[in-house]
Amino acid sequence: MSISSINKRLKKEFGGRFNATLENGSVFVRGKSSDWGEIISACQAAAKKYSTTHVVNDIVYTGEQPAPTRIPSVKDDSLEGRSPDVLVIGGGISGASIARELTKWKLDVLLVDKEADLALHASGRNDGEVHPGIDLGKGSLKHKYIRRANRMYADICRELDVPFKQVGQYVLFRNSAFKPLVALYVFWRKYHDGIEDTRLISGEELMRREPKLTHDTKFAMYNPSAGCVCPYGLTIAYAENAVQNGAQVSLNTAVLSMDVSAHQIINVTTNRGVIHPKIVINAAGVFAEDIAAMADDRFFSIHPRRGTNSILDQKAGAYMHSVASIKDISVHGKTHSKGGGILHTVHDNLLVGPDAVETVEKENTETRAESIKTVFDKQTQTMPELSQRDIITYFTGVRAPTFEEDFILEAGRNTRNLIHVAGIQSPGLTTAPAVAVDMAELAVDMLGKSKTVEKNNNYNPIRKGVPVLREMDDETREKMIAENPDYGEIICRCEQISKGEILDALKSPICVPTVDGIKKRVRPGMGRCQGGFCSPLVTKIIAEFLGVPLSEVKKSSAESVITYGETKVNEGGEK
Amino acid sequence: MTKELVCIVCPRSCRMTITSEGDELVVTGNTCKRGKEFAINEMTDPRRTVCTTVRTSFPSVPVLPVRVSGAIPKNKIFDLMREVNRITVSKRIGREEVVVPNILDLGVDLIATSNILKDENNET
Amino acid sequence: MTTGNYDVLVVGGGPAGLAAAISAHDNGAKVLLLEREARLGGILKQCIHDGFGLHHFGEQLSGPEYAERFEDELYKRNIEYSTLTFVTKIDKNADGSFSVHTVGRSGVSVFTTKALVLATGCRERTAKQVFIHGTRPAGVFTAGTAQHFTNLLGLMPAKKCVILGSGDIGLIMARRLTLEGAKVLGVYEAKPTPSGLTRNLHQCLHDYDIPLHLSHTVTRVFGVDRLEAVEISKVDEKMVPIPGTQTRVECDTLILSVGLIPENELAESIGVQLDPRTKGPVCDGQCMTSTDGVFSCGNALHVNDLVDYVSQNAEQAGKSAAQYSKKARKLIEVTPGDGLLYVVPQRLNLNEDNSKTDLYFRVREEENNCVLHILADGKEILKKRYAFMRPPEMENLTIDFDGCELNENSRVELQLERLGKGDDVK
Repeated sequence: MSISSINKRLKKEFGGRFNATLENGSVFVRGKSSDWGEIISACQAAAKKYSTTHVVNDIVYTGEQPAPTRIPSVKDDSLEGRSPDVLVIGGGISGASIARELTKWKLDVLLVDKEADLALHASGRNDGEVHPGIDLGKGSLKHKYIRRANRMYADICRELDVPFKQVGQYVLFRNSAFKPLVALYVFWRKYHDGIEDTRLISGEELMRREPKLTHDTKFAMYNPSAGCVCPYGLTIAYAENAVQNGAQVSLNTAVLSMDVSAHQIINVTTNRGVIHPKIVINAAGVFAEDIAAMADDRFFSIHPRRGTNSILDQKAGAYMHSVASIKDISVHGKTHSKGGGILHTVHDNLLVGPDAVETVEKENTETRAESIKTVFDKQTQTMPELSQRDIITYFTGVRAPTFEEDFILEAGRNTRNLIHVAGIQSPGLTTAPAVAVDMAELAVDMLGKSKTVEKNNNYNPIRKGVPVLREMDDETREKMIAENPDYGEIICRCEQISKGEILDALKSPICVPTVDGIKKRVRPGMGRCQGGFCSPLVTKIIAEFLGVPLSEVKKSSAESVITYGETKVNEGGEK
Repeated sequence: MTKELVCIVCPRSCRMTITSEGDELVVTGNTCKRGKEFAINEMTDPRRTVCTTVRTSFPSVPVLPVRVSGAIPKNKIFDLMREVNRITVSKRIGREEVVVPNILDLGVDLIATSNILKDENNET
Repeated sequence: MTTGNYDVLVVGGGPAGLAAAISAHDNGAKVLLLEREARLGGILKQCIHDGFGLHHFGEQLSGPEYAERFEDELYKRNIEYSTLTFVTKIDKNADGSFSVHTVGRSGVSVFTTKALVLATGCRERTAKQVFIHGTRPAGVFTAGTAQHFTNLLGLMPAKKCVILGSGDIGLIMARRLTLEGAKVLGVYEAKPTPSGLTRNLHQCLHDYDIPLHLSHTVTRVFGVDRLEAVEISKVDEKMVPIPGTQTRVECDTLILSVGLIPENELAESIGVQLDPRTKGPVCDGQCMTSTDGVFSCGNALHVNDLVDYVSQNAEQAGKSAAQYSKKARKLIEVTPGDGLLYVVPQRLNLNEDNSKTDLYFRVREEENNCVLHILADGKEILKKRYAFMRPPEMENLTIDFDGCELNENSRVELQLERLGKGDDVK
């Protein structure tokens, strides 16, 4: 699409209120609007799917402004003067996996994240599916990585001691008239696009495998290579393995500004000191555009898109054991896919979702009733027995797509010591293991221009997670408890988590001594009572471990106070 | 004068009516003697029992549950709380043992309602 | 690995489990009681307020006092018990006995028992289960969690708080936090009538000028780190929030007292059938569930409002478990009629002594001036007039069913007759 044809289109659709210009190889869209939806539509109109010519959204939004980016309150100089070989910005799945791959070389790797824990944004707030790539055609980076990464999963999860289940994915069709069309699609995907595990199965076969899915199914597309993983569990495991191999992870660390000179990042200012990295990897998710701008290399835009998932009780987890969603094809052959799917999680819950809603707020993870309704309206068609009554919790994540809806995996276009790992949205969790290998190599090549980069001979790919006592047989459990009686003291009744497992998490390579940090690592509070019984006990264990008063223990951030000190200090509630 | 009130003596929560006829207070709706007593007190000298905790000097049992041995005037509740908040128990006292005798000269004792300090001592 | 053989194994050392264990022992059984927490007493440990025991002991006790009196009885009888012991699995054996697998600080144990009493209590409904939306800040607690922090750990969970739900624990916590210096802005209840006992409305709210807002609920929470405010909405008669009625109330804490759910995951794992109305096991007059040899009592069976009833019901369960031997049951249904929420037991076993059967039931909505009829095959066994009945206040009657000439085709039904003002009992 030429600039003039983009402008013609913008004029036709938006009456000339927006215009596009080509600058340094990107399409800059400018104008003014108080309607965020309109801004998104205008940029989408200017963008070409999977193109490497990116749309940069420079439209001035005059509507209600989102809250400013949250910056951690801590200020110290713990990183002052650090000069790592590689500074990775962002502790999501991309940043964590790249950091780990980088430790295969003798490099000083520093990963920073502004949050109190890893994977607190999109990487910890998605459905955890390991995708087969059935919706991806050749020509995109998503497609380039999907099969290679999918095949890496079993090994990576074994190395990092993270549960992974290859449960298979079904896409259900209710109209047999479309079978020839879908068969053609399957054939094309399989032989043209290399999604080699794709096949069709009959409705009867599906009913034998997943009897609770809708009996209206006439046939289904099946990909046995689809799986599920705990997305934050994998991110944490990657980061821990990176730390074990010599990387440093600094949480509560926000990048505030950069000094760029002669196409090089010289200084990176954080709330914990000024860093002088040789190269910078921008894996900042929904903030990747902001980081790119700081680095004087903003050639793309991120448009946040939120999605809400519900987690259902493990009782509902028994309803089905795979990934499934229904697909209705209208007479125009257009598919409607909003409303996510149903997924049997690696922890045996059901996950239902997500929806997809454009938003101006990058950090707003509020949930809304209508999101749940949208998803359940659709997914009760996939599985009629699905009920909102089985919900134990729900959460919202914000995706970080570009307008071209593909990843950006490349060196800076203007700034030379910079690598962008941006626009990472689904299937970014799936592709991470393969992307990380390539991005680490790209970084090594970049560093290789100015120094010799040696292999790290002490690199150990094996990370041992906290033992999961509830999954052990009585004999093994007995042995474990004999060695450490804390493994016999159950703290979380719903998920059967022992004091020993909680203490192990506190002693892990990246200690996050908060109630949420422990919950993410060993799951107390993830069950049906949602921490009602165990959160005071977990608080106590953390306080004892740290040797601090109980009221010092936080939910997550420094400001997320759980209790306001001791009782009895008030003078009584005088009225 | 007539007043409607709910009895709080027991969970039955009887709805009662109290009427003053001359010098006499007549209670209806009560199902026991204590209800009548409560209704009359509520008009003349409303009282409540107070249950709370006191701090201890034992880190593993930071607070000990206590209550007053008898009802105290309603308007003394917060005075009592202030007094209770000043106390720290440093002996391993047991259930029904007196923490403070005749607290605030109210004619009632503050008593422990749990053996938790004692039990813990026996275990260790 | 420790093992042992028992006649009766009781799971849960709260008020129900304690009473069941003592009663089973007194009826001649070799008993083992298992408790997952460090101390016996269950939730009563943190219920430091008074109001317990008026039926059972004839005096007003606090929760710890009530529980500890039962504990003293347990110790006096030298009944075996084990704390910090968590049941991981129960196997049904071919001979009808059960193998109960546990973990504790000393390792894994497997106990064999002829009969099992499940006194596993209940859990609290959470914010997400009542569909509160918004952010996920610190400062949203169930009432029981707030109570644990306040009464066991001596920590202040709130400075300025809103309470959702007028259940008893919520009301008790309103008073408790006020006494400790917090400001309780109000109690909001989605139903048009309060959920807690009337006396608690008076002594916990009215005494402290804490407002109760009926037909209002919390629809959203604000604040990223700690709670900053809640959104309150008016609800219609179906308890659905009415758009446009939202108001924002600034507070640092939201305490939820929005219902209790019997904990029956262990029961379900051995095939015990649950009653969708009580969410507890379907049981007979001996507290035996649909699985032979498995008994249920206390809040695991149905949520009680008075611990005295829990003890009464658990004593029955303990006694039945001690007397249990496998034999055929002749079961008939006991059904709650129009206006009644549920009745426990849901069945009677005609092969057992039903001469003193305790019936527990609740009305669906507030009723004034009504008559309860208990019918066997249409024939009236008992009628009782009530000036008023409220859903939060469970009713209890002891019935002699043995004199009713019941047979295997009989049906027992509870019916509610509503009288107009001034009507007399028919």
